[in-house]
Amino acid sequence: MAFATAISLVFTETAHAYIDPSSGSYFLQILLAGLLGVLFTLKIYWRKIKAFFTGKGADHDERR
Amino acid sequence: MMNGVNTRLSGSFRDPSGFLFYRDGVLYRQINQSYQEHYELLMSSGLYRELTQVGLLIPHDEVDIPPADSGPVYRIIKPEVIPFVSYPYEWCFGQLKDAALVTLEIQKMALSHGMILKDASAFNIQFRNGRPVLIDTLSFETYQEGRPWVAYRQFCQHFLAPLALMSYLDIRLGQLSRIHLDGIPLDLAATLLPKRTRFSFPLLTNIHLHARSQRHFEARPVNSDRQVKRQGLQGLVDNLESAIGRLTWKLDDTVWADYYDNTNYSDRAIAHKSELVAGYGQKVDPKTIWDLGANDGTFSRAVSGNGTPVVAFDFDPAAVEKNYRACRKNHEHHILPLLVDLTNPSPGIGWSHKERMSFIERGPVDLVLALALVHHLAIGNNVPFKYLAAFFAETCRSLIVEFIPKHDSQITRMLATREDVFDTYTRDEFERCFSLHFSIVEKADITDSTRTLYLMTR
Repeated sequence: MAFATAISLVFTETAHAYIDPSSGSYFLQILLAGLLGVLFTLKIYWRKIKAFFTGKGADHDERR
Repeated sequence: MMNGVNTRLSGSFRDPSGFLFYRDGVLYRQINQSYQEHYELLMSSGLYRELTQVGLLIPHDEVDIPPADSGPVYRIIKPEVIPFVSYPYEWCFGQLKDAALVTLEIQKMALSHGMILKDASAFNIQFRNGRPVLIDTLSFETYQEGRPWVAYRQFCQHFLAPLALMSYLDIRLGQLSRIHLDGIPLDLAATLLPKRTRFSFPLLTNIHLHARSQRHFEARPVNSDRQVKRQGLQGLVDNLESAIGRLTWKLDDTVWADYYDNTNYSDRAIAHKSELVAGYGQKVDPKTIWDLGANDGTFSRAVSGNGTPVVAFDFDPAAVEKNYRACRKNHEHHILPLLVDLTNPSPGIGWSHKERMSFIERGPVDLVLALALVHHLAIGNNVPFKYLAAFFAETCRSLIVEFIPKHDSQITRMLATREDVFDTYTRDEFERCFSLHFSIVEKADITDSTRTLYLMTR
């Protein structure tokens, strides 16, 4: 059930896009985002740690 | 009920969310009901306010006028007008790079307000006061957690691929954007890029693997239950930002030096020419200026003394790049350097030849500068004077044009390797042909040179 919901979420919404997102682009993006999301999270935490020790505020990336 | 004559912009038809139209010479954008939810979020979330405050999105007013068509209209807005519309294939490397970075910055701000870019076309970016700005108010949609970024492919094709090709291979490959209006196909970019780009993580993933993935899944849906988390999207944008940020175009010193060495002018001659150009410019008092063959923009600056907007065209990517960097550095917001080869200026292209305007269509302007240009076209490209005069007459109401006689060392150099078939290249013939379209208001010999400057009006 969860699987079916996820599929429909991804592809029903795609139908509304007026540009072609390309299946291959979606596939790569899903893979890449999985990896880059982890790295991005680490980067944010690293900035927070650095900010704590340097006494400077973490940069605006955190608001994203 | 519809009032007035509406002219729909010929390039505004893809997105069913709305379209641009002119009525009584004023530009409006119709927003259709299908976009209502997204528009309301754009305005209520604070995203519109933040983006317009920092100059990243074109501001607009909501107006109460009848719609342009009888369709399911939600609202009409009146966007601020961009004085000169330019296209990615007319931008130098630095301009395309800045446009890419601005698109990513907008994407980041949109995500922080619960929205996302639904397209990432380079044509949605224009240069306003020297800086890139998003002109499509309807480019945002409500962000749905888990949904991948629909415009990821488009961003890579419109920005990353041409910038990588220009940076790693040859700056002239930017012209591929004129053929491929929806961006450079990634398989083409992957084929052309040198093997060493596979060792750059952002290029390996966003171009090489991206192209392979597109080929693999061609005409097949992706069978995956995985979604893209918000952090993943942020990571993707961060990765693209670092990829674009690392791409550079380094001009070697000799290229830069050429601009000073090859001008054929002494300091006195340049000073006199600048003075004449500025004086003629004041006489015309133009609101709009094109500098054709502007080189690094020296005389664009001379003629636009009080900040009159100038579009400075040149066919040399290095000259345009140099001019753009100088404009950014010196905050010269009124000068827009662009890449145009006058022997083959931008044509009307895209659907029905009307989606992107030709060079000529974007004129005429009050004043055109054609300095050290005529001999390039007349001798370098064999264009007869009468054709040249007719061309300039189509582009402007007044013209500052420089005549360079055949015995000038630059023309001697041009003719050194070819037969001189230009018997009619004389001052008399030049004046006769240009007088068919213009009146010569003033002319003056430039001190310490063989050249003459003319002010002509139609």
